[in-house]
Amino acid sequence: MHMANELLSIPVATGALAIAGGGLGLICRKVRQVIAADKLALMGILGAFVFAAQMVNFQLPAMPGTSGHLIGAVLLAIILGPHLAAIVISSVVIVQCLIFQDGGLLALGCNIINIALVPSYLGYFLYRTITNGRFSSLKVYIGAMLSCVIATETSAILVAVQAALSGVLAIPLSTFLITMIGVHFLVGFIEGLVTVAVLAYLQQLRPDIVADSLPGTVRLSKNAVLATLLLLAVLTGAGLSLLASDLPDGLEWSYAERPDQPEFQTIVSNPDTRITAVDDLQSKYSLMPDYSVRASKHGDITGEQANTGAGWTSFAGIFGSVVTMVVIWLTAWMLRRKQAL
Amino acid sequence: MHHAYIDKFAYQDSAIHRLDSRVKFLVVLVFTAVVISLPRSSLSILVCYAIGPFALLVWAGIPLKFVFKQILLVSPFVLVLALSCPLYDRTPVAVSFGPFSWQSSLGWIRCFVILGKFVVTMLALIGLVSTTRFSDLLAGLQKLGLPRLLIIQLGFLYRYIFVLIDRAHHILRARAGRKLRNLGFKTELRTAASMLGSLFIRSIDTAEHISTAMQARGFDGNWHTISKLQVRRCDLIFVLTAAAFISGLYFLVKPVLQ
Repeated sequence: MHMANELLSIPVATGALAIAGGGLGLICRKVRQVIAADKLALMGILGAFVFAAQMVNFQLPAMPGTSGHLIGAVLLAIILGPHLAAIVISSVVIVQCLIFQDGGLLALGCNIINIALVPSYLGYFLYRTITNGRFSSLKVYIGAMLSCVIATETSAILVAVQAALSGVLAIPLSTFLITMIGVHFLVGFIEGLVTVAVLAYLQQLRPDIVADSLPGTVRLSKNAVLATLLLLAVLTGAGLSLLASDLPDGLEWSYAERPDQPEFQTIVSNPDTRITAVDDLQSKYSLMPDYSVRASKHGDITGEQANTGAGWTSFAGIFGSVVTMVVIWLTAWMLRRKQAL
Repeated sequence: MHHAYIDKFAYQDSAIHRLDSRVKFLVVLVFTAVVISLPRSSLSILVCYAIGPFALLVWAGIPLKFVFKQILLVSPFVLVLALSCPLYDRTPVAVSFGPFSWQSSLGWIRCFVILGKFVVTMLALIGLVSTTRFSDLLAGLQKLGLPRLLIIQLGFLYRYIFVLIDRAHHILRARAGRKLRNLGFKTELRTAASMLGSLFIRSIDTAEHISTAMQARGFDGNWHTISKLQVRRCDLIFVLTAAAFISGLYFLVKPVLQ
């Protein structure tokens, strides 16, 4: 689910970076006022815990060969509170980018918003609203489950919307949304189950850790799980079919419209004139530099001849670059061999 | 601990490794932004841009096999989305490349441009992180104005990732040794939950021990480091070369290739 550089346009990426940076700065300042120095180690290690927890996988039923794992944002938000969880998960996303190269440098803003900020705050808010008042095991179950599913779905929707706003992909927003929501429905459900199970375990062994958010015993019953799965499946299915009937079919769109960028704007109706201006500029100056668009049935010979020139320049560009890289590699190899001798 | 596989190359020594981390970070950021803003239909200019990070990696002595393995490892999400382009965008185009010319669709071109941009920006990112120690990168980022709390958080996180991953490996090995078949979803889930729960409790206990130890040694929430960061002449040369490379390709080569 990590957003990549290539799926974003510069305005979207920088906008998201600014929002994420500003948000993180604010949270850091707020946390700095309330946190004691001895909590700093705890936060760091819980970040490392998220990494380790993502390695603990388990087999999923009915889908042999697949396995699920915990994502952890909502679990941390429930136990630590949203501010700390937001910082911990943001740092996890940054390390994933800088050390494991998961997600790009420019996409970092989007990733922090989608994976860290939104799930932490949304998940915490939902959980607290639902479990407010007298403690009951069912409330905790519903709260954790709903916050996981909704937080996961929201970040999936955000990924689709950001990609659509950037207009890099040819895939229509409706199709993208339906796929993302469908897949992340399962992800969110599994996440919810594991979160509840871990909360129950912690409550049993170390009630002091979760005293704030779990003042009583939690039990996970099979019937409740089946009932939730059914309910969520019906709800998601209904939502998806509404979405599907509301928006025109994907293939129709790409045939009906000039498939460069504008099809997304008609769906999203993005009012930002800057984005349209950038798109216009790009399509005016850089559309099809070495590839010419034309209908395939008119075998236009003059167009073909005009093309060959462009084909040769691009050939020269690629050939020259590859030769340069080979030369660089050979020089380095020879220098190193000389050193070794 | 078996963590040495992921950023072992950052601890080598070369001219690239000795550059200031701030300079490298900013150059890679600008490079990525320029590559992303390139037109969505020209593949050849991307290959030209690949020379830069490629030269960096080769000069720094990073094995190319490691680099491409790493790129392959993180590619699935981008790959799926890029491959969806040919399905939805079937505007026919005539492509000519050197002596060859053939019919293709706009979607395929988009797909290859997305993948090309992915590879080039990944080369640059790997060039940054495999030639810079994480602690230097953090010190540089702090100088660049990241909040101190976040820097301390990242430092702790990096220090303990490998410890806890190791611990997770132990737990996984113990489960693999005891579980000889699929136990059904309910038991699997319960086992995983207790594994995660015990990992969580052990993490919290470790954190308590560490913070007691750190406080005993005078930790007050600030990190004091011997900062060696300074911009020297070779950093300036690096910036000028990078600027000349990026802008030269953008203003001189890109119009020719169009």
